[in-house]
Amino acid sequence: MVSVINTVDTSHEDMIHDAQMDYYGTRLATCSSDRSVKIFDVKNGGQILVADLRGHEGPVWQVAWAHPMYGNILASCSYDRKVIIWKEENGTWDKMYEYTGHDSSVNSVCWGPYDFGLILACGSSDGAISLVTCSGDQQWDIKKISNAHTIGCNAVSWAPSVVPGSLIDQPSGQKPNFIKRFVSGGCDNLVKLWKEEDGQWKEDQKLEAHSDWVRDVGWAPSIGLPTSTIASCSQDGRVFIWTCDDPSGNTWTAKLLHKFNDVVWHVSWSVTGNILAVSGGDNKVTLWKESADGQWACISDVNKGQGAVSSIADGATNEQ
Amino acid sequence: MAARWSSENVVVELRDAQATAMSVDCLGGHAVLSGRRFLYVVNLETPSEAPRKIGRPSKWDVGTVQWNPHKAESHVFAASSNQRVDLYTWRDGCGEVHASLQGHTRVISDLDWSWFEPEYLVTSSVDTYICIWDTRDTRKPTVALSAVAGASQVKWNKRNQYLLASSHDGDVRIWDKRKPNTAVEYVAAHLSKIHGLDWHPDNEHILATSSQDNSVRFWDYRQPRKYLNILSCQVPVWKARYTPFSNGLVTVMVPQLRRENSLLLWSALDLNSPVHAFVGHDDVVLEFQWRPQKEASKDYQMVTLSRDQTLRIWRLDPQLQKLCANDLVEDLMEGISLTTESEKSLPSQDPEPTVHSSGLPSEDLQGEDQAGSLTSGGRHDPSALPQTLQQEFSLVNLQIRNVNVEMDAVNRSCVVSALFGTNQVHLVVKFPSHYPNNAAPSFQFISPTTIPTAMRTKIQKILTDTSLQKVKRNQNCLEPCVRQLVSCLESYMTQEDGSAANPYVLSNPVTPALPAFPRVTNTYGSYQDANIPFPRTSGARFCGTGCLVYFTRPITMHRSVPPTEPTPRSLSALSAYHSGVLTPMKMRSESQSSLRLYSGSPTHTDKDHVSISSFYYKERKPAQSVLRRWSIHDCPKSRRFKTKREGADYGNRPIKLAGKIIIQEISCLLPVHKALGETYILNVNDIQDTCLKNAAAALVVGRRDMAKVWALASAATSLELSPDSDPDADAPWARHPFGRHLLETLLDHYSLMSDVQTLAMLCSVFRSQGCSQDYFSLYGQHRSSLFPSHHLRYPSYTSSSVSSGSCYSTSDSTTTTTWSIGRDPEHIPPLGESSPDDYRYANQMYADPREREREQHDMNKRLLDPANTMQFDDFKKCYGEILHRWGLKEKRAEVLKFTSCPPEPHKGIEFGVYCCHCRSQARGTQCAVCKRFTFQCAICHVAVRGSSNFCLSCGHGGHTSHMMEWFRTQDECPTGCGCRCLLQSTF
Repeated sequence: MVSVINTVDTSHEDMIHDAQMDYYGTRLATCSSDRSVKIFDVKNGGQILVADLRGHEGPVWQVAWAHPMYGNILASCSYDRKVIIWKEENGTWDKMYEYTGHDSSVNSVCWGPYDFGLILACGSSDGAISLVTCSGDQQWDIKKISNAHTIGCNAVSWAPSVVPGSLIDQPSGQKPNFIKRFVSGGCDNLVKLWKEEDGQWKEDQKLEAHSDWVRDVGWAPSIGLPTSTIASCSQDGRVFIWTCDDPSGNTWTAKLLHKFNDVVWHVSWSVTGNILAVSGGDNKVTLWKESADGQWACISDVNKGQGAVSSIADGATNEQ
Repeated sequence: MAARWSSENVVVELRDAQATAMSVDCLGGHAVLSGRRFLYVVNLETPSEAPRKIGRPSKWDVGTVQWNPHKAESHVFAASSNQRVDLYTWRDGCGEVHASLQGHTRVISDLDWSWFEPEYLVTSSVDTYICIWDTRDTRKPTVALSAVAGASQVKWNKRNQYLLASSHDGDVRIWDKRKPNTAVEYVAAHLSKIHGLDWHPDNEHILATSSQDNSVRFWDYRQPRKYLNILSCQVPVWKARYTPFSNGLVTVMVPQLRRENSLLLWSALDLNSPVHAFVGHDDVVLEFQWRPQKEASKDYQMVTLSRDQTLRIWRLDPQLQKLCANDLVEDLMEGISLTTESEKSLPSQDPEPTVHSSGLPSEDLQGEDQAGSLTSGGRHDPSALPQTLQQEFSLVNLQIRNVNVEMDAVNRSCVVSALFGTNQVHLVVKFPSHYPNNAAPSFQFISPTTIPTAMRTKIQKILTDTSLQKVKRNQNCLEPCVRQLVSCLESYMTQEDGSAANPYVLSNPVTPALPAFPRVTNTYGSYQDANIPFPRTSGARFCGTGCLVYFTRPITMHRSVPPTEPTPRSLSALSAYHSGVLTPMKMRSESQSSLRLYSGSPTHTDKDHVSISSFYYKERKPAQSVLRRWSIHDCPKSRRFKTKREGADYGNRPIKLAGKIIIQEISCLLPVHKALGETYILNVNDIQDTCLKNAAAALVVGRRDMAKVWALASAATSLELSPDSDPDADAPWARHPFGRHLLETLLDHYSLMSDVQTLAMLCSVFRSQGCSQDYFSLYGQHRSSLFPSHHLRYPSYTSSSVSSGSCYSTSDSTTTTTWSIGRDPEHIPPLGESSPDDYRYANQMYADPREREREQHDMNKRLLDPANTMQFDDFKKCYGEILHRWGLKEKRAEVLKFTSCPPEPHKGIEFGVYCCHCRSQARGTQCAVCKRFTFQCAICHVAVRGSSNFCLSCGHGGHTSHMMEWFRTQDECPTGCGCRCLLQSTF
């Protein structure tokens, strides 16, 4: 059964803008307009405040956990144009690195899959996307894609490292040379795919469908199937699912998931990549699932703060 | 917000200086401020140092002060004082008067150094003369232009050395100093007095005038009848000057309220809305000047002097400069017209104290405040008097549910009707004519008010108190009073029916009348936020493996009113909710920025002023004047001073701005099960048992389908179906429809379900069943090897990274058996796993048809199609990742054992040879193309890494010592290839 297993009162003094659990689902990071980032231990239904991270001078928009093989690392981005990377060492959280290379609000941060190393993509309202890579001992390497989106970049999301097709063409026996890719969405109403080639980031694809600012993009996790999937949502209330079966990654087809009445702010994929959580200005959360015949259907409606996902499809997934 | 970013400012406080004028020298190093008793020279490089003083024995204030703009004369400045201009020299931290220009008979209104000739200075005076002085001859002006009317401003043209402009009331005259008899051109520029005049920096024909008539106009003096453009401000404009960069314009408004923000940056290309507001000064900005741009700096710095006796230095970064250059803000600003609401005359000239409602606490910033002058207005604008009460009425933010306010500005009264549950309240508020100047309005209940008398008295008292508090400070009180009323009624209601019902939903909603005033821009620096997306206030994220974390706006914030308008897309949209008064948040530079936040102990009063929540808040409790809650505004560099709060302010109910974060277990929606992850086993030694146990495990969690699948798997892997190693025997089970085909169908099905758990488990089980040669079908097809299995004795050569367990080659060819003897004669289970390396090195040396057939058979007998191995590996890796998230690391390792990881590329000594297998050039002992050791010893079959010899004819060879040994007695190749190496080659 779908059940609420924890309700965390963050005591943030202002509105919350993001909440995310770590890899194992044991810790929760939240960020708020009150300029703070908080980390809670939520193991076994508890909610112990582990850290209250102050360092931003503006509302904090988003947080992102790095893969645990690099340690307990959290990135946060803020209106104050800064990206701060926090690290827990000996139980205390501290600033590990502060990136100040953007000229406007940084709206989105996303860590790459661990195979790519400790790499963070940051999208900013100055239109640029920065790729911040930890190249060893406290050395940070910055690559910046200027003018990635005119007016501003609102969201970034990495492609999974397991991208079927990309590996098959590898010279046999060599360790697969991961092609780093990510997707971004911006105020130019575009969804753009980026690819690293010879150490340079290049625009790979430009996906057009939205009629207003793209607010979030999410590259679905791969389970090893030869299809890449991306969800994008926009101010125009539309959510599109982009799929690409083509191993070369050039042909993307869009499918309208739904048109909402208000802005859609966020899309999030389940770990198996078959359920999409959509949330937006209407203060509601809906879950969507693709049926066997390729249609997307809303399987539940998480009501505003009321609690349970009224699961329409409880257990249905288990019936074969 | 944006204000802060662009204008991280330096503040110099000059207590007691009473500075009235300021100038920055042409090198940007110093600013001179004229106080009553001293002139102060501030070193702008080290502004924190105490300013140097120059004594000034005059009873007259300095009217204008200006440094000589020429580098050679940059140590000279002129200061006008009554009828005289004193020329000062500033050297080595000391200044003294070196000359005085006396010629005017009345007070000097303005002076300006020539841009072209360092000695020339022009002065204007109310004595109607404009004098041009050559400072080398101070006895009398070189030229005196008679203007008949007194002049308020005089400015040299920046591009033409002869031209200058002077303003006379609402007119501008253009003079050519070579033709002093009469003005070259007259421009009837404004209806009221011109306060400011500025030539375009690049175009000698264009100038901007700012006037008491609430506008800035742009002129080409050659077309004096029609202005080029107009900037309507609705407040008198004190100064309007071009920026040194692009097409910017900076204006200083004449604010009505002391703390109103009046320093704005515009793009001359788009006068609809300012680009930026410089927030910080608490009082009228008296003067602003640009520092010359430093070398290699893209920033410009503006120095401002305010009557709050602070000097501030603002940085304008290229971003901001760019905003002046193009109209990026375009449609984002749609519907927002600039109407800075403040009104009235120049504070410096206005004798009426009522104009300045002084000392507003920083929080207190309702729309009505700035409108609050009833008595002042009229002097310059006859229509101002009725406007002001109207202004309060129109700006007051009273979109409170169940409350209706009918306002009648003409009769100076309004009727507040509130409907709470079964109770009705009707209240007449009458405003005395002096309101809000210490004159409180009266409150009277009228029928059909239904609340008891005791309550009425109580409310009346509260309202009177509230209003008195406000008007004592010369502030408007309608909105606070109405809020008080509402909160009283609410608490009364709750008491009355004792229920916890939300008063907001009790009664039928009265649609609040939208205030009938145009949206007013507050200009609070929000223009730069036009491209920053409106923040998310709700969201949901899948986290870990089976959790959905979500947060929404707190219920209090959206319960009652469905959003009538879509959520804005950009942060700047919030400025639309401001009502024209600028937040008087006091800014300090740096550091202390977040004191308030750190100090903890949040009270609702703290919060409800400072958030994006204002947008939502408005929906529910609209009356809480939205603009005051805009926290971003006070973010980075500012610190909000919590001056004494009006205790009576607004409802007592704390409003939570942060909702709860809810973590939901949604794993039942997912195709993977943690319980299965824990109980599934992978026992390569007993596949049958594995399948049966897994089937049972699947049943336990209710996956009946999986139980069947495991039963199938068990059947398919049963010993009876195990493939015969002889290719001539029956077709292997894999070729049967229930073999590979069935498995593929299953995999397809679970792929559709995204059930990576099942996929990975099936792949693992069948891989172990089908032996691991599939991998080499990808990697090893074209390889041949002289190197059968030998590495087993030398484990250091094994590069198999994941495969473990018994390493048996199922494909040892007869020719290699001799070398296999050395192995453990361990029993080979029929379904045993083989090491990839066995296959790699053992298989394809003898590519005779039998071998090929066998190879084919190897492929065929496997249930998993070898062609898809990579994909199967991906399943396992993905599942491994999920197991990792579940914390099942051992299970993960078990699954990952079945992936066919390519070996790490060898790194070692390099020497150029052609690979003996694939004939490609190789550097090192391993071929880059085929990944095999480039050559190996024909005797010991170990790859040669050290000294070696080979036959250049057949390519065989090996360790030097072995070769020497062999060829001591033989002359044919040790491999038996028939090559007579000793004859063929010459080694």
